Amino acid sequence: MTSNHTPAPSHTQGGPRRAGVMTDVHRRFLQLLMTHGVLEEWDVRRLQKHCYRVHDRTAAVEELEDFINNINSVLESLYIEIKKGATEDDGRPVYALVNLATTSVSKMASDFAENELDLFRKALELIIDSETGFASSTNILNLVDQLKGKKMRKKEAEQVLQKFVQNKWLIEKEGEFTLHSRAILEMEQYIRETYPDAVKICNICHSLLIQGQSCETCGIRMHLPCVAKYFQSNSEPRCPHCNDYWPHEIPEVFDPEKEREAATSRATKRSLRSRQH
Amino acid sequence: MSEQSKDVCDPSSAAEASDSEVNSSPGVPGGLSPPASQAAILAGPETPPLGPTDAPLASPPPQAPSEEGDPKALQQASEEGRAHQAPSVAQPGPAPPAPAQLVQKAHELMWYVLVKDQKRMIIWFPDMVKDVIGSYKKWCRSILRRTSLILARVFGLHLRLTSLHTMEFSLVKALEPEELDRVALSNRMPMTGLLLMILSLIYVKGRGARESAVWNVLRILGLRPWKKHSTFGDVRKLITEEFVQQNYLKYQRVPHAEPPEYEFFWGSRASREITKMQIMEFLARVFKKDPQAWPSRYREALEEARALREADPSAHCPRNSVSED
Repeated sequence: MTSNHTPAPSHTQGGPRRAGVMTDVHRRFLQLLMTHGVLEEWDVRRLQKHCYRVHDRTAAVEELEDFINNINSVLESLYIEIKKGATEDDGRPVYALVNLATTSVSKMASDFAENELDLFRKALELIIDSETGFASSTNILNLVDQLKGKKMRKKEAEQVLQKFVQNKWLIEKEGEFTLHSRAILEMEQYIRETYPDAVKICNICHSLLIQGQSCETCGIRMHLPCVAKYFQSNSEPRCPHCNDYWPHEIPEVFDPEKEREAATSRATKRSLRSRQH
Repeated sequence: MSEQSKDVCDPSSAAEASDSEVNSSPGVPGGLSPPASQAAILAGPETPPLGPTDAPLASPPPQAPSEEGDPKALQQASEEGRAHQAPSVAQPGPAPPAPAQLVQKAHELMWYVLVKDQKRMIIWFPDMVKDVIGSYKKWCRSILRRTSLILARVFGLHLRLTSLHTMEFSLVKALEPEELDRVALSNRMPMTGLLLMILSLIYVKGRGARESAVWNVLRILGLRPWKKHSTFGDVRKLITEEFVQQNYLKYQRVPHAEPPEYEFFWGSRASREITKMQIMEFLARVFKKDPQAWPSRYREALEEARALREADPSAHCPRNSVSED
């Protein structure tokens, strides 16, 4: 019914806009990206190849970045975009389709009850205010009495927190909670607008920072993957702001090739690792 | 305006409108009216087609005898008939919103529908009105129409009214014959694996699978009804409630069984989205056998595949195998 190469509609009045061309390849890609919520880069590449195989076997697979930029130019007028981010602990690139227009936690709103949403907000505040980017389970649960909506017991709150983990809004590590990269991708705007004073920003990439390293002298912060890239093969790492010696261990830059080798040599029947996404 | 206030929120006519728009204007870029005629649509008298749901309105309240009757009463009548939760009766003829606002509402609705579908939740028309459309209820038809257009052009998805009775919409792929794309990334979608396990058990049995049989199979995956799982959580709740709610499975009491026992069947959504050949391939992968090791089932799957191909000859060569890279 729709032809294969329909020029994207211009949604605003008047003249032609720079807009990409949407084919069934792109449409399927969008459908599946939406279905999965958030995907790591190698999954996204597989997905892209799959969409070409289904709809246009003869075409050359476009370079992923161009492919995504093409789609984003169409999505621009709808106030949504395919956003690329990285996991804060080891710098794996992740992608998600996000709504730029929302300035609230509205994406979650349809899934959770009022008191559950409020629990999330409380956890979020604790995480943002914390030094490490983690909020302990105990501290979150102690706020259960302050929640809006129906009264929630601590036992129930524990389960709700697990629900957040399963839905990839939070990550749990040894009884402490931090934001999943999905939540960071989707809510960065909301978080920056709602907590403008408490929010931490990375000195290198200028994006929202939850976990990272900080300079002990001047206090600037950097994401672990940003530290890795910035200080790569630098034997004497120094703070980019105050030039003082950088006192932390410099992590490795994320290498997708090395990762794939390691993955294939592991046992195939691997059940789910609690890998941060 | 009084005409317009009558039944613009009739989901069936809205769905009709969106469907016919999508089908009839493939080549028109945008398919969205330029602002000038948009204003005309809003201002002019719209005569919405009276769908079957209007029949119950046959006995309107005595004050609304004709079309020129009191618009307030007409609106009351339509809203009573629809059983929508209308908190207050609108005054006749509020000013129409700017086109840009309707466009924005359409975008909000688009995202709302996408998220609901992502969560595999029901897209319920009254929820759409309550959560998104709100005070723009009078224009919900044009909002819905625009949303459907965007979804079709950008995502290749149809927003279909699947049940007028329950006022449920669903997002249906407008593209090729269904593929279980999720299986293409099967490592990452354990839910699908779990579901396929149960569906294939039912399929191989050729009839309903008793709950006890299903748990025997799930035990192989290390799943027990009383144990919480790190990914699936409460597995029993997942398969007896969530999958059932999503229409992937049916969970029914076995007649005349004492003590009471339950069995699983394929749900309507599974029958729509998953082909028998896909089940055969799943079985082949899991048991490392040729699909023809289940000869009668394989024959059935071939039959179904042929029937599907015949039903849609314009489709590309049907890809039944969902291969990895």
